[in-house]
Amino acid sequence: MADLSPQRVLPAAAVRSPGWGAGVGLVGRIRALAVSLAAPAVLLAVWEGLASLGALPAFLVSPRIVARELAALAASGDLFEHASASLYRSLVGFAMGSASGLALGLLSGVSPVVAGFFDPLVSLTNPVPKVATLPMLVVWFGISDLSKILLIAVSCFYPCFIAAFHGVRSVDPLWIWAARNMGARPSQAFFRVVMPATAAQMFNGLRVALALSFILMLASELMGSSNRTGLGFLLLSADAGGRFDLMFAAIAAIAMVGLVCDRLLLTARRALVHGEQEGGGTHG
Amino acid sequence: MPLLEVTNLSKVYGNGRGRLEAIRDLTLTMEEGEFVAVVGPSGCGKSTFLHILGGFIPPSDGSMRVAGRAVRGPGPDRGVMFQELALFPWRTVLGNTVWALEVQGYPRPEREAIAERYLSLVGLLPFKHAYPWELSGGMKQRVALARVLAFDPAVLLMDEPFGALDAQTRELLQEELQRICFETGKTVLFVTHDIEEAVYLADRVIVFSARPGRVKATVPIALARPRRLEVKKSGEFVAYRNQLWDLLREEVLKARQEAEAGQAAGDG
Repeated sequence: MADLSPQRVLPAAAVRSPGWGAGVGLVGRIRALAVSLAAPAVLLAVWEGLASLGALPAFLVSPRIVARELAALAASGDLFEHASASLYRSLVGFAMGSASGLALGLLSGVSPVVAGFFDPLVSLTNPVPKVATLPMLVVWFGISDLSKILLIAVSCFYPCFIAAFHGVRSVDPLWIWAARNMGARPSQAFFRVVMPATAAQMFNGLRVALALSFILMLASELMGSSNRTGLGFLLLSADAGGRFDLMFAAIAAIAMVGLVCDRLLLTARRALVHGEQEGGGTHG
Repeated sequence: MPLLEVTNLSKVYGNGRGRLEAIRDLTLTMEEGEFVAVVGPSGCGKSTFLHILGGFIPPSDGSMRVAGRAVRGPGPDRGVMFQELALFPWRTVLGNTVWALEVQGYPRPEREAIAERYLSLVGLLPFKHAYPWELSGGMKQRVALARVLAFDPAVLLMDEPFGALDAQTRELLQEELQRICFETGKTVLFVTHDIEEAVYLADRVIVFSARPGRVKATVPIALARPRRLEVKKSGEFVAYRNQLWDLLREEVLKARQEAEAGQAAGDG
């Protein structure tokens, strides 16, 4: 028989590393990190330089001042209060919307009857910007957390429904045959074939939904906040007071919270989605 | 009692002008431990036949029995190795091989021990943690073979499993399959369009006619086992090959004429 030792057939570097970008070992990882930090670092340096030369208008506050303001906000506990209020709204809305979107999308994928009910409805309402329903929600529920959470949930529903629905539809029917052949009951075929086969696409939907939850959290808070909290409300009040330093601090805080949530989602994806070929595609 | 009994099996798709008769009145019995190969021109319904036996497609008429029990619908008594393999890309080599035992409720240590035994039988134990996309075509075939052997079906149904491989890998896998079947005493129904593969592997070769698929001839292969690849150079082997080729030739020509006639009618 041919030489089938792992080294012979699967040179570790060729299999585990896609070459460019990801890098191998500690040195490679440090280099990759340096590359990804270069663009923001250059941008901040140019901004800071121009600000210290007095070349920028008053509403473009220097990064140093923004950082100082951010530190002051954090020290006073205000940052935590606003960020946690925002995070509560966006994550509860995200959880409600994406859970229902994934569940109904999966169900529509396996059942033509359910698909016949939901698919036209989703196609019809998906192009409507969900933020258009905010005035109506405000009339209904007030400028409360509830109206914000509902808006976010509705927005998160769509990408998750679409990802799950089309994910199930693209499952290779032969996998289902193979599963049934190996003695799987229909429920086992669903949980052990359809679900893992659709996982990557469901995570793509979740990632879009997460970004939407932050956008709509901010948009809804800019309409006002009944308990005077939230990063969007901070932005709104900074604008009203002409405090550009505070405004940039609020924007920076939103960006950081968003980044952390996105990274957490990607970490979950890596833990739950297996067998993906580097550079796309799950087909073996 | 024969292990597999197929009686008067027919399959017709559609009706009226779109009616297509894929298989007509097929009868076949297989004894335990027998290796039967089915050859036929392309489009003769041999894959349809296998999918009906697997229980994925209902027959229009006729019945099948495994070990005396009537079957309908898919089940692990008939292990299918698909032409496209249908490995699960989200599972490792070991994960694919234990899958059937998992859904059948085997405890973890037991199912892993069984899977590892079959992975070592096909020479893939060192790759048990690799994912399918990391493997070559021949290695994927071996995983699919280990996966179907692991849940110990009464009959193995193989649908041109080596069709997509290069000639060298194909021969090596043929020899390996021949050895494994000889060692485990498996009952196999093997569909192929490759006459040499059929003669080398089978105890009996069944020639299908052009569509609708019927049994045109059955040729017992009396070559001694275990068979080494060198047997392909022997006079006996070549005689079998020529005999089957003559039988198949007529059917291939018939299938081609029909295809051309269909095309001409379609053009007109």
